[in-house]
Amino acid sequence: MYITALKTISPQPTYDESFFEGNHIVHSGNKYRVTEPDYTGIINPGLLRRMGKSIRIGIGAGIPLIRNRKDIDAIIIASSEGGQEESIKFLNQILDYNEGPLTPTNFIQSNPNALAGTLALMSQNNCYNITHVHKGNAFECSLTDASLLIEEGKAKTILVGNVEEISDYNFNIEVLAGKYKEKETSSENLLLSGTPGTVCGEGSCMFILEASSKDYFARIGGIEQITFPTEEELHDLVRNMLAKNNLNPTDIDAIILGYNGDSRTDFWYNNLSRRIFPGQPVNTYKNLVGEFPSSIAFAVYLGAWVISGKGSRVTGITLPGKPIRNLLIYNHYYGEQHGLILMST
Amino acid sequence: MDKKELKENLKKHIVKYVNILDYKPEQIPDTMPLFGPQGLGLDSIDTLEISVMLQREYGVKLTDPAEARRVLVNIETVAYYIISTKSPVEK
Amino acid sequence: MKVFITGFGCISPIGINFPENLKSLQSEKDGLGKSHFLNSLYASKKYFGEVKVDTPQLQKELLFENVEGLTRTDLLAFTAFREAVKNAGLTHDEISSADTAFISASTVGGMCNTDDIYKDANFKSTSNEFVNSYPYSRHTLRIVSLYGLKGFTDTINTACSSSSNALMMGMRLIQSGRIKRAIVGGAESLAKFTVNGFNSLQILAEDKCKPFDCSRDGLNLGEGAAYLVMEAEDVCSGKEHWGRITGSGNSNDAFHTSTLSDNATGVIKCMQLALSDAHISAGQVNYINAHGTGTQNNDQVELTGFSSIFPVIPPFSSTKSYTGHTLAASGAIEAVFCLLSMKYNELYPSLNVANPLEGCGSSLVRKYTTGIEVNYIMSNAYGFGGNCTSLIFSKY
Repeated sequence: MYITALKTISPQPTYDESFFEGNHIVHSGNKYRVTEPDYTGIINPGLLRRMGKSIRIGIGAGIPLIRNRKDIDAIIIASSEGGQEESIKFLNQILDYNEGPLTPTNFIQSNPNALAGTLALMSQNNCYNITHVHKGNAFECSLTDASLLIEEGKAKTILVGNVEEISDYNFNIEVLAGKYKEKETSSENLLLSGTPGTVCGEGSCMFILEASSKDYFARIGGIEQITFPTEEELHDLVRNMLAKNNLNPTDIDAIILGYNGDSRTDFWYNNLSRRIFPGQPVNTYKNLVGEFPSSIAFAVYLGAWVISGKGSRVTGITLPGKPIRNLLIYNHYYGEQHGLILMST
Repeated sequence: MDKKELKENLKKHIVKYVNILDYKPEQIPDTMPLFGPQGLGLDSIDTLEISVMLQREYGVKLTDPAEARRVLVNIETVAYYIISTKSPVEK
Repeated sequence: MKVFITGFGCISPIGINFPENLKSLQSEKDGLGKSHFLNSLYASKKYFGEVKVDTPQLQKELLFENVEGLTRTDLLAFTAFREAVKNAGLTHDEISSADTAFISASTVGGMCNTDDIYKDANFKSTSNEFVNSYPYSRHTLRIVSLYGLKGFTDTINTACSSSSNALMMGMRLIQSGRIKRAIVGGAESLAKFTVNGFNSLQILAEDKCKPFDCSRDGLNLGEGAAYLVMEAEDVCSGKEHWGRITGSGNSNDAFHTSTLSDNATGVIKCMQLALSDAHISAGQVNYINAHGTGTQNNDQVELTGFSSIFPVIPPFSSTKSYTGHTLAASGAIEAVFCLLSMKYNELYPSLNVANPLEGCGSSLVRKYTTGIEVNYIMSNAYGFGGNCTSLIFSKY
């Protein structure tokens, strides 16, 4: 399947695409937040008033891709936790008003499927609609779902995307779980910090995927996922994936890895790149957008620009000085869920 | 609180509870419809939000859907409902 | 590629395993009542479909007494999963094979520990055993870890149609040839969070719910879990099975966040898609397991959908009158009920109906009915956000 259009709201200047002209934002601290665009002309005030951040950014990225088309056959969203801020607002209402009369909007908006539902509602789309919430593999599941629909002949054009938001809710809980750094870092030295923990990110990447196309950014050639593997099992999975696509490791022109600066789990990336892709320059993305469960969608976004040749000035991406035909993305979420996405010209 | 004050107060609460973005409280006429495209554009979920607001802020219960439809017409009718419910003498 | 259902497990308000569920269904015995275990003001005020075992006892029966951080959702999931793989006779190698997928669903996940989350999220605590337990996907990952699953895994949340979509996804993965086996379903537990959510929408019934009755006044929240084992024809030949899953339809009503459109757009579309996916006509359906929550809106719209699709509405009922609305688990629990119905050629009724909605005619099943040939069943689920899913099961 082919990526034919894409739009992203992230902690980098991606919405206006000046990020691909060398513009970028340096973040410090443990929260890499998105810069929200002006939604005038995208979301009318009557709808905007109900939306929490995750829905706003998901709509802001998704609606421009679908509002002028009548051929969208499916809407597939990956979101580990959906509207976290809405959940905590409702939770706080329950406890603060001791289960008295409560306002329902936060409750309705807190369910992760609210974004896919709102995208359907705003574009009056009655087609296939689903939300995968499988934490660190939610986006891989969404891409697999899309590839099934295309194979089955049930869809030709699909909106696939992700959304996660930083809320006090998930952030505080994840601080208690020891996920974030104790000492302040900046996005320029995050990956070299050598200490436990990482930083929290957010964003929404939306893609139009088509079954066939002549004018596209990149092709998605393979999607794999594995949970709680050994390193051997993971490396076998990579080799099998390449073999399935008749590729040798040396045919991969660029790799993007999910390094997040956490000294406890970055060894997965070190070992995979050393053993399978020795000498390959390593590209990273979480220094740009932080860590969050469906963050691999941002790597796909970068990959699409790089492969299309339009993203030659992407901050932090080291290119081999030749056209990129095949690009492999590998990411894991806290060492539990691992995902691989192969992109090609 | 006199009726005028009550209505100003009510507008502030409605704007806050249903998070109206395109009107400031003072821009809402007393007789502007709360529902539908000619008015504030509220819907059935807002009925529930405003019912909770009336209970929390004014101690007035509004649970019967048919009565809610009669009461939640515009600021004027909501204010009248609050006054008549709280002080039965004025009915 | 034909997809057979070779086993299942089910824990619900009417039984802790599927034989117990079957017995309750046949004896028209519902599992609705005041809650004994829920920590909420409404526990003694509203009716719930509660699993009749407390959380420590669930943990004890699973021999997990010393495992920390397990929520009620996790434990319900484990209980049903264990029964499902046993019923299907899966070996350890089959369960952990890369050819086996596991797809679950939940809308509450670990948020059933509402008070713990409140404290942690507001920094009113210093860490507790549940900090890693809250996500919707946590129960899935715990099962993956315990059973050493190496294949495709997924968690779906489309509100009340979540586990119907898990079944759909499993069927399609097998049909595509990507995998040989899928264990699919969902888990949900009662929670202060959800009870207050549905209460704020004013759709909780005062009494036991009355799906498709004129005086219905809302739903009863329920809890439970069910998992089904699906196998590709070529790996289960000769094996005993409960029937096949032959079609799915997924649509969005695109009308409102929490109510269905009066003209039943999404409801009609998903039923049509499911029938055509299964290559059967509306007239072949012998029974519909309705979504039938008991709210004013749902039941009327669903009935509108039936009359538009079926020249003669086949027998239908809502088994939520037994279990309450188990949200993300409902699609999987009701799939188990459908397969029992098909196996034993019998229909389980909608309970508590005194005055059926106009248009139900004699199609609404109001009594336990035996000796009826059931070859094709449709099962429906609709969720907030407009998500609609229909599934088709067939005997042969």
